[in-house]
Amino acid sequence: MPQTMTTVSQELCSRVTLAILADVSPVAAPTLSDAGRAVSYLEEISPEMRGCAIFSLEGEVLAASGDDDRWGEAGRDLLAAADAAGGEPVAHAHVATGDGEAFCVRESGLTAVAVTERFTLASLMLFDMRITLRQLAAAGAGSE
Amino acid sequence: MTAKPHRLLLDRVSSYADEAAAYIRRRRHLRKPFARTYYPGGRSAAFAADSEEGRALFLAASRLIEVAGPPRRVRSAK
Repeated sequence: MPQTMTTVSQELCSRVTLAILADVSPVAAPTLSDAGRAVSYLEEISPEMRGCAIFSLEGEVLAASGDDDRWGEAGRDLLAAADAAGGEPVAHAHVATGDGEAFCVRESGLTAVAVTERFTLASLMLFDMRITLRQLAAAGAGSE
Repeated sequence: MTAKPHRLLLDRVSSYADEAAAYIRRRRHLRKPFARTYYPGGRSAAFAADSEEGRALFLAASRLIEVAGPPRRVRSAK
């Protein structure tokens, strides 16, 4: 008898759960259709990030946290230094200084540079940047 | 001969202190400034600050950090 009760209650529970889930609208990952939204998204999900910029394949700034020109110049310098250091284009680079940490990531034909607080979790930061670039590239940003 | 209880306690405390000191030493070592580049295929390279490539990387990173502005906690302080 107790076992029957348990089975009935579990069935009821799963039915109620299904009914609840049927009412909940699906939550999709945000679609990043333009670089400006991608920068805002990165700022939102990375509390330790101070700012970032996204570049097209040609090195043009698509969006930045602040002044496009300043971010563009400094970002391109970092990319150039990273590429020159090993004699070939980098997939990503990470430079940690006493004042903060700088990252650059290339993914799907786009490039992102970011500055974070010190001692940030590099793997998480790189993952966020890479996923964001992948979504942007899938939406066709930087290719037009 | 069985060690006196206070001796055991001292040994335990000093071993914890040794562990903590080693942890701090390792942490300090790991937190030194560094410049690392990673390439398609998984190869990576580290550049010392006194090398030419390292200097260029640190200089470029410093410029980018300057553009980003001061840390958030300093910016929000009044």
